[in-house]
Amino acid sequence: MESEKKSPPKLTRRNYSKIIRPVFGILVVGYILSRLYDVLLVQQAYTAEIWVRLLISGLIIGGVYALIAIGYTLVYGILFMINFAHGEVMMIGTFAGYFLFEATKSINVASAGNPPLSFSNAYPLISVILAFIVGMTVAATAGFFLEKIAYRPLRKAPRLIPLISAIGASFFLQNAAQLLFSPQVRDYANPQAIARGSGWTLIINDSRVIVTYTGVLTFVLSILLMIGLYLMVQKSKLGKAMRAVASDKNTAALMGIDVDAIVSRTFIISGALAGAAGVMWGLHNGLVHFFVGFLPGIKAFTAAVLGGIGNIPGAMLGGLFLGLVESLGPTALGISYQLKDVISFVIMIVILIFRPSGILGEVLSEEKV
Amino acid sequence: MKSRFLVLALILVMVLSACAPRAEEPVVEVPAVEEPVVEEPVVEEPVVEEPVVEEPAGEDPMEICDNDDYGCAVIAPGQTIKIGMGSPMTGGNAAFGIDAEQSGLIAVEDAGLFNGFQFELIAEDDGGTPEGGAAVANKFAADPTIVGVAGHLFSGATFAALPIYEEIGIPMLSPSATNPDLTRQGSRVFNRVPFTDEAQGNAAANYMYNELGFRKVAFLHDGQDYGKGLAEIAAATFESLGGEVVELMGITPGEADYSPVLSTIAAKDPDALYFGGYTQEGVVLTNNMKTSGLEDVVFFGCDGTFGVDFLTRTGANGEGTYHATPRTPPETPEKDAFDTAYQTRWGQAPGELSPFSWNSYDTTTMLIKMVEEVSFVGSDGSLYIPRGALVDAVRELANYIGISGTYTCAPVGDCNVEGPTFWIVENGEFVAVN
Amino acid sequence: MNKEIIRSSSRKGLLFGIVMIFLVLINFHIMAATMISKLLGTNVLRGAFPEVRYMIIFLVIYGLWVGWSAVSREGKTITKLLEGLTAGITTGIVVGLFGLILFFLLETQTDVRRYLTALSFPSINIFLLGLRGIGVPVLFGLFTLTGVAGGMLAVGLRSKFITELKQSVRTTVINLRQRITNSLPDKVNQYGKYGIYLILLIVLLLLPSRWGSYNNFVFGMVGLYVILGIGLNIMLGLSGQFMIGIAALFAMGAYSVALLNSPFPHGLMWGFWPSLAIGVVMAVIGGLLLGLPIMRLRGDYLGIVTLGFGEIIRILLNSDLLTDLTGGPRGIQNIQQPTFLGQPFTDVSYAYLIIVAMAVSIFLYYRLENSRTGRAWLSIKEDTLVARATGVDVQKYKLLALCVGAAFAGLAGGIFAARNQFTGPNDHTLMVSINVLSVVIVGGLNSIPGIILGSFALRGLPELLRELETYRLLVFGALLVFMMLVRPEGLWPSTRPDLEEKGSSGLKEDIDAHEEGRGNA
Repeated sequence: MESEKKSPPKLTRRNYSKIIRPVFGILVVGYILSRLYDVLLVQQAYTAEIWVRLLISGLIIGGVYALIAIGYTLVYGILFMINFAHGEVMMIGTFAGYFLFEATKSINVASAGNPPLSFSNAYPLISVILAFIVGMTVAATAGFFLEKIAYRPLRKAPRLIPLISAIGASFFLQNAAQLLFSPQVRDYANPQAIARGSGWTLIINDSRVIVTYTGVLTFVLSILLMIGLYLMVQKSKLGKAMRAVASDKNTAALMGIDVDAIVSRTFIISGALAGAAGVMWGLHNGLVHFFVGFLPGIKAFTAAVLGGIGNIPGAMLGGLFLGLVESLGPTALGISYQLKDVISFVIMIVILIFRPSGILGEVLSEEKV
Repeated sequence: MKSRFLVLALILVMVLSACAPRAEEPVVEVPAVEEPVVEEPVVEEPVVEEPVVEEPAGEDPMEICDNDDYGCAVIAPGQTIKIGMGSPMTGGNAAFGIDAEQSGLIAVEDAGLFNGFQFELIAEDDGGTPEGGAAVANKFAADPTIVGVAGHLFSGATFAALPIYEEIGIPMLSPSATNPDLTRQGSRVFNRVPFTDEAQGNAAANYMYNELGFRKVAFLHDGQDYGKGLAEIAAATFESLGGEVVELMGITPGEADYSPVLSTIAAKDPDALYFGGYTQEGVVLTNNMKTSGLEDVVFFGCDGTFGVDFLTRTGANGEGTYHATPRTPPETPEKDAFDTAYQTRWGQAPGELSPFSWNSYDTTTMLIKMVEEVSFVGSDGSLYIPRGALVDAVRELANYIGISGTYTCAPVGDCNVEGPTFWIVENGEFVAVN
Repeated sequence: MNKEIIRSSSRKGLLFGIVMIFLVLINFHIMAATMISKLLGTNVLRGAFPEVRYMIIFLVIYGLWVGWSAVSREGKTITKLLEGLTAGITTGIVVGLFGLILFFLLETQTDVRRYLTALSFPSINIFLLGLRGIGVPVLFGLFTLTGVAGGMLAVGLRSKFITELKQSVRTTVINLRQRITNSLPDKVNQYGKYGIYLILLIVLLLLPSRWGSYNNFVFGMVGLYVILGIGLNIMLGLSGQFMIGIAALFAMGAYSVALLNSPFPHGLMWGFWPSLAIGVVMAVIGGLLLGLPIMRLRGDYLGIVTLGFGEIIRILLNSDLLTDLTGGPRGIQNIQQPTFLGQPFTDVSYAYLIIVAMAVSIFLYYRLENSRTGRAWLSIKEDTLVARATGVDVQKYKLLALCVGAAFAGLAGGIFAARNQFTGPNDHTLMVSINVLSVVIVGGLNSIPGIILGSFALRGLPELLRELETYRLLVFGALLVFMMLVRPEGLWPSTRPDLEEKGSSGLKEDIDAHEEGRGNA
């Protein structure tokens, strides 16, 4: 795009950019290194088990972001649009899972000799699987209708138009959820077996470090989904068609690919992914309310950009990276936790300055932007 | 083309309906109430030439209004007397605002008609933030029929709104804004019924040091006015008692996972974690403490974390946590009546969404009563409410028996000096400890 | 043929039925009935319920709409009526079943408000028109009948007779206009447009002192967003940089005025006018600092970085770290009010100030747009490579665009803070940036009348329509989607021709192409 070719004798101005960027980068990196040195080597305030805990938290938080980012990046890779409403689709999935667990919680199953258990507690595995199915289905449906109503008519329009439509859809869904279900924050009724906070215990330095079941589930799930999605996009027929559409919509249509159907299916899959993320969010964090998708949506978008928009492993990487920075950053740099988002954004800006296509670069299709 | 016409038509319809003249006959479900006798106007000092006499309706409004510092609010026949309310009604803390509005609506209904005039509650969403508070205050200030504000609810919003109401002369009676500095601004209009955070923070620090024997406590807050003020006061008192403040820091509200912060605090090995903030964050903190190395550390909350919500969302993790509330409302027939009305009307029990349900009812009712006291009907049939007189009347409330307690307002505006009640969670229930 | 008709109209009926269910579940039916009630003169207080007859009116209107939209343009009259009937029946069935469920809830006094907050018993009761069980078939009948009636309405309105009537009216009006223009001297015709502007201006100048402080408040809000919109337009519409962080620049202007004019935290009282100037300068510096590192980024990456920048500023303003400097979460209160010629500002003065600021901004914008700088910007937007090849210093102009846009944002921010007598970190959130973006796009990119109209529609109207308070965001979101689907070029599109064939900048061209494709008028 903007080549750095020699141009007429405006050397001073050209050099601005050549000087400013490296200087900026060096300043930031230098600051980070000096803080790290201070905290790690001089103060040595934190012992091993603290770092382990932070690492685990970071991976889990990162896993959540990655889950959401995968769906984001899929849509962007195929359609080059920022699906601002992705966070809301995730919220819909969370609510769907919530209602399912409410239902299974209230059905009582008689067990011999003991007080009756709820269905959730008697058959946790089935309940969880059911919750995921319900959540993913509802969210996928939402994604389908979202595309059909708010995006499909705008496919040929310049990029800003579908973005505004997406923003509008996002607000609409948020507010609809608030009006339907009240702003009250609700609680996920996990089955007892994977109650929040329960998990394996490690002993480090005489201190108990807990690795939660839900945390591990989150991490494992995001990896599995990422692998599954990646394989699907690279190997399957649908994936091939998606990549074709991403590469050149018109030619793909000429080749006999039903672009509308492919796009629809992309959104359905993206929605399902968001739904899974939503249910996982509910299981792990326990919060359900209409606003639950907004902040994670933005964070996931950041993560996707960081890893390279359209790049599926990149989204995973970006999510994990972001989670780790949020978790370890303030402690390692000795900065207040209030500023953790500042740290994330600054690091993101620095990375984008030096590598404008994201860490792993755009891969899903040849560059189009 | 067609769609443009449709859009314009729709907009036109909506604008028309908003601008439609307010009608003569108000339609509302109100229990029949006999109207109270017209009160004589209340005048402070003998600033007026006329002698202070029990004058019937027909007293010259101009005299009183001219001599009033803030002038009069005039409610024409057919208009309603409006009581404003600013609180977070959307977002994570919406429970507080919704609860306040629900209580307030019952209060307005119970008030009935006054000289043929209806009271109306205008509850606006201020988001619990200073910016929202200022925006709502500006809105209210621009409406001449708003005569009092039962709020705001959150301290931050109240701070920002205060100067605006001060300028216009709208009295405030907050059910829940507890930051101590609010009554140190020399404000004439601001009053409140809950204790101040100074009382709460001091009491909490004392309780932790003396009763519970803690020596090392980490103090967290949510970065907002209320929580920050409270945590800072508690930390200062704790330190002055001889305890060690291992940490005093703010977290970002609205997050779902505070494990990193808590893990870092675990390194400092505190006995307890004091938190100034609201249920939303309190719940997440309490849950996360169990997996961040703080399993044996006690969570000490405040009146912002009290509520059924906390219990249901922390479950077993909430055992052994402490909270504070304003004094428990005494069991009286009036309180029972309110409880029943609330449950029937809104489908949930008062005190569930927030601990301030009863306070909100009382503040709204108190404002209404004071309006009834100072206002008078002019010869043109309009209701005249001298603003200055109203401001002073609210400030001079004495021995008012409400359903949440008995109130007498001090000259600075604090109407309740009783300290907080502390509660511990045992077996999934709140148990008072002092 | 008939089956097809029945299928399509019953599908429409189904859709309307589902929408009606949704509306009931968010209590919209109560609000609509309340609004109708107020329109017809009966006041309903907050928290109270309107009378049943207004609900009936609402349902009738809705039913008519169902029938009306089910009717297709072509076909025999009897077919059209059939379409209306089918749609009405389908909606009736859907709503009827729903009503049955509601009735069941009512009879068994099952309170589901824990899950669906709108279903309070009075709300259900009113929806069933107070008739409880009988309400169900009544609803069914109502929708069936109104479906047919709507169909008849559509037939009537589109009949030959009406169309010819409309045509003749239109012709008469055109002829009349022609006659008037012909009879007036040329000079008047030429400058008549300016005459109208002058009259509008005079009206605008007279209004603020007449129409009450609340309207001034709303008007001021609209005006500030116009200024912001112009600033964003320069960055986005003229130079093509996708910027979602304008709130940060807005904050710089606001905080400059605030920090230099209040007792706490610094106790400086430099006066409004100097600090406003400083605010503009600070915003420009902010734009510069923002722009320098990001020159190489494009498109969505640029967007996310500017978003990040906006958030960084907000978090820093809110943080404990900088509380001593910025006032922290409490914000800054008691901002000293400006004085002009010795007189302190009232809300009327603010309205005038904002009018002046708007006028200045609009004037500057037009001058810039038509200047060499403006053309340079547009060339960068259309095709950066070509622009560079023709000797345009892309970097300088991009930075210039950011700085100029920032200046406008800073101006708006300063006035905003002074007018509210208060500002805080939450006044400068991501939402602000999104709002400005919506105003510009919905109003019409690169179009001043569009930005004004957009600002009024998206910021002014919600303030005026207090009834819709709870549904504000819902309507806002739906409106955005609706506008993009129906009129993406904006409420008042720009008249600047876009010669680009495809790509992210050829707005109008693309719109035309896609409209053609849809075969729409």
